[in-house]
Amino acid sequence: MSEAAPRDARDTMGARLRTRAASALPAAGLAVLVLVLWEAAIRLFHVSPFIVPAPSAIAVALVDKFPLLMAAAAVTAQEVVFGFVLSALVGAALALLIVRFRLFGRALYPLIVLFQTVPKVALAPIFILWFGFNLAPKIVLIVVIAFFPVTLDMLAGLESVEPSLIALMRSVGASEHDVLVRVQIPHALPHLMSGLKIAITFSVIGAIIGEFAGASAGLGYMIEFASTQLETALVFAALVVVSVVGVGFFYAIEATERLIVPWAPKFDPLNRRD
Amino acid sequence: MAVSDGRTQSAATAETLIALRDVAVEYGVGAGRHRVLSGIELEVARGSFVSIIGPSGCGKSTLLRVLAGLVAPSAGTVAIAGLSPADAVKRRLIGLVFQDANLLPWKSALDNAAFLLEVSDRRLKRAETRARALEILKLVGLERAAGRRPSQLSGGMRQRVSIARALALDPEILLMDEPFGALDAITREEMSYFLLDLWQRTRKTVVFVTHSIDEAVFLSSRVHVMGVGPARILDTIDVPLAYPRTEACFEDPAFARTEARLRALLLEGHGKGSEP
Repeated sequence: MSEAAPRDARDTMGARLRTRAASALPAAGLAVLVLVLWEAAIRLFHVSPFIVPAPSAIAVALVDKFPLLMAAAAVTAQEVVFGFVLSALVGAALALLIVRFRLFGRALYPLIVLFQTVPKVALAPIFILWFGFNLAPKIVLIVVIAFFPVTLDMLAGLESVEPSLIALMRSVGASEHDVLVRVQIPHALPHLMSGLKIAITFSVIGAIIGEFAGASAGLGYMIEFASTQLETALVFAALVVVSVVGVGFFYAIEATERLIVPWAPKFDPLNRRD
Repeated sequence: MAVSDGRTQSAATAETLIALRDVAVEYGVGAGRHRVLSGIELEVARGSFVSIIGPSGCGKSTLLRVLAGLVAPSAGTVAIAGLSPADAVKRRLIGLVFQDANLLPWKSALDNAAFLLEVSDRRLKRAETRARALEILKLVGLERAAGRRPSQLSGGMRQRVSIARALALDPEILLMDEPFGALDAITREEMSYFLLDLWQRTRKTVVFVTHSIDEAVFLSSRVHVMGVGPARILDTIDVPLAYPRTEACFEDPAFARTEARLRALLLEGHGKGSEP
């Protein structure tokens, strides 16, 4: 019998890079177009730089204030890393507890959902009050914002194992613990990774909100401070740095995903092959 | 009916491995309680290949689950080599294969084949389970694909790994629930030859659930036809074709006759079931 396995010929490094570069072209083109139009509009209509700075002014601010921006980025990045790691641990642990201890799960899950309806921005001043102006309140704020997608996706992964596979395991005497450790947890890893990708973007937002509420350093603090000084170009420059930090973290998670769950089907909205 | 084949005759006199007496299964409680199976009488001889055929919803999968000890009957007795299904499962008499191969995508074909054995017996060393799994992969003709992940295997190969996983436990009985149902027609036919060959080499007892009439006739020595409303066994038909079976079987008038008979039975049973 000749059954050839479907081999993926596209999966060579060079070909993948070329596809990636090609798929980035439309986005880059659109970005350049928007920047050009923006610059032209500012010059044409003589918009005040206090209201909307031109892209060129933002670029100048980026270069002039580069050391300051980098120092602020380091502070924010540190908050994001600590907050994100803790969110991942708390989120995954909650999902495991809910699945492993059913009664506890039934008690806890509705409360977690209820807690999600509380606007976290409103909690920021309270955390400042409780934990001071330093790292701690930002980390707590990030965790309460970012643990939820982790818990939700991990739960979905743990619960979506094919029932007949579990029946098969039970039929040879596997315990609930065996099923959890040998099948449910590895099965949940790709789901966990998508939860983590959402959590990392939430973590950046959480850090900025935390710094708005009360801080003496960081990109959020810088945005707040620059806007009170009417240094609008610096506000935008800081926003650019925030985005770069966020995107950097996001792709770091995606790279980790390929290492941890190489078997998972790739989700690539830019190169859909359907 | 006339039984011309020597094997079928010997099967009739061979030792009974599986025996069901007046088995019923009910689901639900109170007013919502309903029968999914009733009055099931079934005997399967050791080493035979039998099919259970019927329309969707006739309870054939439930019947297989009763044999596997996954569903407890609400009435009647089930004996597998004189044991209850639960004890038979404990003694690893039963291997299960489902329509979906259900392989673990993060494990290689070899580790998937070794998986159930590993879970069933903690005392076994990893090297032992892997050696056994490799042996079985050779048996199903997949030793060269041992290192591949399920995503790198074709549908037929995946189903063979899932059969290997069941065989690694060295069960007496293979219970198969529409194992080729998700495969394309050509692969399906290839898998039929493969399964017959495997059966003749391993001498397992096979209980094969399907809704395909020609699959049932081609593979088995005996076909149990199930009908709905209430779900029960309508009739049992012996297939008058000798093993080993080849493509020539499809040309045999006996094949067409048996197929026609099964079709008539199924249609009749279906018509009765759809009455209000």
